[in-house]
Amino acid sequence: MQSFVCAGRLVLGGILLAASLAGARAATIDESVERYRAYIIGNVDEALAGARGLRERIAAKDLAGARRAWIEARVGWERAEVFTGGFVSDLDDKIDGWPNATTGFHAVEAALFVRGTTDGLAPEADKLVLHLTDLDLKVHQMRLSGQGMLDGAARLTYEIGESKADGGESRLSGTSLDDMVNNLAGLEQAYSVIFAAPLATADATLARQAQAQIERLSTLLTVGDLRRVDPDRVRAASEDLVVTLQAAAAALGLRRPTLEMLVQ
Amino acid sequence: MRRGRQRRGVLPAALVAAALLAALPASRAGAFPVGGRDTVLPAGSELDEDALDRPREVFRAEAMGGAKSYLVRLGDMAFSAPSLLGGMARRAGIACNACHVNGAGNPRLYIPGLSTRPGTFDTTGGVFNPPADNGVLDALTPPSLRGARLLAPYGHDGRFASLRDFVRNVIVDEFAGPEPSPAILDGLVAYIQDIDFLPNPRLAPGGALAAGASASERRGEKLFRKPFPRRPELSCAACHLPSAAFVDHRQHDVGSGGEFKTPTLLNADVNAPYFHDGRYDSYAQVVAHFDRVFALGLAPRERQDLVAYLTAIGDGVRPYERDGVEPRLKEIGEFASLLATAIPAGDREVVALTVATVGGELRELTEAFPDRKDATVVDGRTERATARAALKERVLDLRRIDAAVAAGHLDEAAADYAAWRKLMASTVPEALRAAERWSLFNPDLHDAHYGALRLLSQQADKAAR
Repeated sequence: MQSFVCAGRLVLGGILLAASLAGARAATIDESVERYRAYIIGNVDEALAGARGLRERIAAKDLAGARRAWIEARVGWERAEVFTGGFVSDLDDKIDGWPNATTGFHAVEAALFVRGTTDGLAPEADKLVLHLTDLDLKVHQMRLSGQGMLDGAARLTYEIGESKADGGESRLSGTSLDDMVNNLAGLEQAYSVIFAAPLATADATLARQAQAQIERLSTLLTVGDLRRVDPDRVRAASEDLVVTLQAAAAALGLRRPTLEMLVQ
Repeated sequence: MRRGRQRRGVLPAALVAAALLAALPASRAGAFPVGGRDTVLPAGSELDEDALDRPREVFRAEAMGGAKSYLVRLGDMAFSAPSLLGGMARRAGIACNACHVNGAGNPRLYIPGLSTRPGTFDTTGGVFNPPADNGVLDALTPPSLRGARLLAPYGHDGRFASLRDFVRNVIVDEFAGPEPSPAILDGLVAYIQDIDFLPNPRLAPGGALAAGASASERRGEKLFRKPFPRRPELSCAACHLPSAAFVDHRQHDVGSGGEFKTPTLLNADVNAPYFHDGRYDSYAQVVAHFDRVFALGLAPRERQDLVAYLTAIGDGVRPYERDGVEPRLKEIGEFASLLATAIPAGDREVVALTVATVGGELRELTEAFPDRKDATVVDGRTERATARAALKERVLDLRRIDAAVAAGHLDEAAADYAAWRKLMASTVPEALRAAERWSLFNPDLHDAHYGALRLLSQQADKAAR
């Protein structure tokens, strides 16, 4: 009986220790998220600077310059999607609505790359700057969490696996592959800053697996031309990585990430 | 980032050459619509992926009161698997089903450079398999496969006596796909042979008109059987044998540019365009062709009677059915049911193909519930997100099953599959039904969404010029 009690205490102690370690890991992760905030801020600042440049080039009626600025603004925006997908869906709609955008990046894209004009675009550029400024404020002030970042990472990873055989989201400017590459860059950034170290401590095998899967995705997207992307392999690689991130959640003391933002 | 496709079928596939069967490709997966400089298929390609009404599929086994065999289900799934084909078709997400939608044809199929008109496709055009390029734009119609088991030989020119050889030819030679395994090939053949004609109550056994036919149809039937005035050894019925599915299994030169096999007239009302190259859109044009080439001397009313007759024998009950949550889930469930056999057998090939294909179908179904960025739909945001999440989780479940089987953990995979089926029978359909009114299965939302996509496609074309 005594030994059972001892064993029971040991088991209980083990459970408490595990729970405490998981809690500590979650706390560590939240600290890492704070460090990651600087990266998101950098990405959003880059998008905002691009949007301001876009507004300026539109005012100057410089079509070529406006197109360049539009593409530059997209880089930071797509890299920040781990954050936007996990935290600010309302702004995401206004900034990145698709396919029937009347506002945001894709409305401007249609004007610049299809109609080939900057005429009448000033109000739209103003709105884009406004929304990105709003986003910038939110990035500075919003309470971030490891859970939200893991949710955003899983959602974005799944999205990378969607077929772009039809030209993808930014088909008017021909930059859909850039979108994918920048999404992955943002994802890689978030993983390495926030999750890589605690996961390596909690489950080294899962950590190696996640790293290898990110690299695999990166290789699959390094093809230079959207038409050369292998959709089956990209899809499988993206799903493998989401599965790993879901498994990692438990090891990190987080909830399994959901693939849609269900609560507004 | 997000994509935008959805819907079945894209292109092509199959089309091929063939005659009846053509081929394979097409699946729902693919891209829709196609425009711009970054698309896998040439800009301007049309696969009719967004059609809300899909050809109705009738299976012989089910019509006889049974269930589809494992082999038939395997072939059905493979027929919708883009990974069955090679190169461009696979990258474009095209499976056999793209050209032979639900085993029928695809009259709207059009690929610039490979099609001479809608409903045609040049399988020796070099786009899908450059070494196969014969340097000639000789587009053919992808035929309906209904009743294919009765319609040998295969290929419009009837060059293949064996359906199996023909199917392999389509995969490997026309679409540069990897050599299919014998099991997959057997499955494809079994599936195609199980696709039945739609029933036609206007026909009696033996191919005669049933009671209730109109006077015009009766006159048409007589003309159909009447010897040609200048070639009395010939008649329409001499080649289109009414008692043999309206074919004679032979090739003839009917003045269309070579020898081609006699096509069936059963269910042909929905098989336009007609002739091997799809040159005619209507029976009236077909009748006029024969009248001219064989100097039949038909009076206008006789032509009308022949058209009435052809329309009667070419009829079929409910040729289309409405797309929606239920038919999609039914098909997904049938495809996935292969796992119940393949997992315990440790059949990694079938598990992998099933996971890839069903996962693709689930992803496509997910896109029928627009996400928050799509301004087409305002309401039902929570319901749509719940539906999307449920489907995405099921995609990941399959990925876990594939990994477990690959690692030899068959019991774990079997348990995961059992859990998957349970969810697909309860939670998932509930979530999808709750969101269906705000999905692209709602005709108004469908039109708005695809209208926006089509506009985007046109804009992309313009931007690329």
